Amino acid sequence: MSFTRMMEGNEAAAYGAMLSRAEVVPAYPITPQTELISHIATLIAEGKMKAQYIKVEGEHTAMAASCGASAAGARVFTASSSQGLAFMDEALWMPPGLRLPIVMCFVNRSIAPLGTLRPDHNDSLQQRDKGWIQLYCENSQEVLDTVIMAYKIAEDKRIYLPVGVCYDGYFVSATASRTEVPDSAEVDDFLPPYKHEMYNLMPEDYVKATVPVGSIAERRYGMQEAQERAKGIIEAVDKEYEKRFGRGYDGFIEEYACESADAVLMTMGSMTGTARDVVDEMRADGKKIGLLKLRGFRPFPTEEMRELAKKYRAIGVVDRNTCFGSAGGGIVVQEVARALYSLEDRPLLLNFHVGLGGTDVTMRQIEYMAEKVLEAYEKGKVEKEVDWVELHDLGPVM
Amino acid sequence: MDKNKLFDDYYKKSLLQGGTTCCPGCGGPLYWRMILETLGPNTILYGGGPCAGCASRNIKLPRFNLHFSFVADAPSGIVAALVAKGREDVTVVSSTGDGGTGDIGFGKISAAAERNENMIQMCVDNEAYMNTGIQKSGLTPYGAWTTTTPLGKEANKKEIPLIVAQHKVPYVATTSVAYPADLRAKVAKAKDIKGFRYLHTVMPCPTGWRFDPAKSVEVTKMMVDTWAWPLYEVDHGVLKLTVKPKQRPVEDYLKAQNRFRHLKDDQIQFLQKTIDDKRDMLLESDGKRIII
Repeated sequence: MSFTRMMEGNEAAAYGAMLSRAEVVPAYPITPQTELISHIATLIAEGKMKAQYIKVEGEHTAMAASCGASAAGARVFTASSSQGLAFMDEALWMPPGLRLPIVMCFVNRSIAPLGTLRPDHNDSLQQRDKGWIQLYCENSQEVLDTVIMAYKIAEDKRIYLPVGVCYDGYFVSATASRTEVPDSAEVDDFLPPYKHEMYNLMPEDYVKATVPVGSIAERRYGMQEAQERAKGIIEAVDKEYEKRFGRGYDGFIEEYACESADAVLMTMGSMTGTARDVVDEMRADGKKIGLLKLRGFRPFPTEEMRELAKKYRAIGVVDRNTCFGSAGGGIVVQEVARALYSLEDRPLLLNFHVGLGGTDVTMRQIEYMAEKVLEAYEKGKVEKEVDWVELHDLGPVM
Repeated sequence: MDKNKLFDDYYKKSLLQGGTTCCPGCGGPLYWRMILETLGPNTILYGGGPCAGCASRNIKLPRFNLHFSFVADAPSGIVAALVAKGREDVTVVSSTGDGGTGDIGFGKISAAAERNENMIQMCVDNEAYMNTGIQKSGLTPYGAWTTTTPLGKEANKKEIPLIVAQHKVPYVATTSVAYPADLRAKVAKAKDIKGFRYLHTVMPCPTGWRFDPAKSVEVTKMMVDTWAWPLYEVDHGVLKLTVKPKQRPVEDYLKAQNRFRHLKDDQIQFLQKTIDDKRDMLLESDGKRIII
């Protein structure tokens, strides 16, 4: 039976893994992912979840064991954060290249030195080039739903790529919000058992790991094509999930309060919740600002971004990350800029660094950024391309 | 008799396909043939060794491999998947070289041993990073020349088998391709035990040890006969010397290889003393429980 209660993001992820019937969970603890794996250990101990939990000695091994289990025919779930993801770096190349549909939660946390336990997005964004699909979630409900959807996406034989379900440590991982846990039989109906058509390690019907054939360029192009195909499949899985469970997430980019907006802010992750409130207030004051929530970062929704750019003539991209010495600004804005470059009539593009090291992204900061985007729209030009918001004294928080 | 047919028939039956890319005189193909004949086809193999996949890529068994630095980790996942699928009849074998065991994967071996993963972990030890062109590893012996120890290695070889045994795993054994009956018996024993089993085999490497490839087995046998590589097992905590050869001076073994040709008399005496001390320790513990 489905039930609804207050639930933290980490617990929601554990329920997502349980309902997806993950069979092997190799994991190593790191704050703020720890409650996720202890919830899984508890679910297994209580007999509610049937899975092999491999208590490994480090993240490198966690991902390696995930690969072995996935190739041997088991559905695999794991999770990590920050330093753990950095330590896992070498292993993170393996599942996309070997086309293993592992699902992992990237519980975002800033990276040392100058790090804290609180979140920014550098830890997951630095994995963007490896071939993982990455979906960013705003709250517990979205985490739970996305974990289940992630398996359906990853295990689609047209894709066979791992999926990272990313969410902010503390703001999502440890903040309780209303979460509906769907009925297990209904999830079974939505998500059939895992069977990899390209792998079989069982001696009696061994299929020699035939996934990578051809030159390295051909194999990598195969991964690129899978990423491209994933765009349509992620949208379709989202629609199917919405039809069945009543909750959808608009695929890659959600437009919030965007009707007749002149300018928009684009956010990712937990700050979106705060931004919704600020945009509501500003619209009540008659300001024509809207909000885009970027949910799918890999594959990057280039075509959708181009369509949106025709409607909104000034876009402010909020980057909760740093990209030192870049062509200009954070990681997300550079993706957006590339997507929009080939448009004949490009919108104005602004970029903000905010919430670095997990500092709170305040309502006042969001209002400031929205005002700057509106101002650029009105003036028809961008005065400051990249703005480090936290370096300004913006007065009282609210 | 048609010679080609003889080979064809052999390789049809063998689990190791001919035409490996191993150097002449490499112990690898010899080793794998013996191991695979004993393990049989109901086996999943992870990893390589010696020297990347020179021999192991020719193995006709389900194989999975990630990269050199991944030791005993992916097979832990395979073991878990087999449990999840209710398939405990399949033997999982995880293999790596001396660098994988003693250096970069040391923590991983220790962790898999602590978890008592149900697999046979093998160290295929040719005493240096031979695949990359003879660089020193933690299992290179004292005094040996490598390209990163041009004056000879200053430190000792790590005692990995005894370290693994201290993890209270059910079975640990040292083996040598020069003693095939001993090797096969240990593999057969390991196959029938559940839990983490560790087999450590020193593998002759004419290229890195600098000797005539034709003398591969001879040199390897000398290593055992000088007690530089004693053959023993630790079965559920009890140590047993399985081969007790009449001891030859270590100098015979050292002189057979150019990697030791620069050694001075006092260094040879140091090695002899180290070997004698270890021999005494092993003889004293023979038949006794050494793990608490």
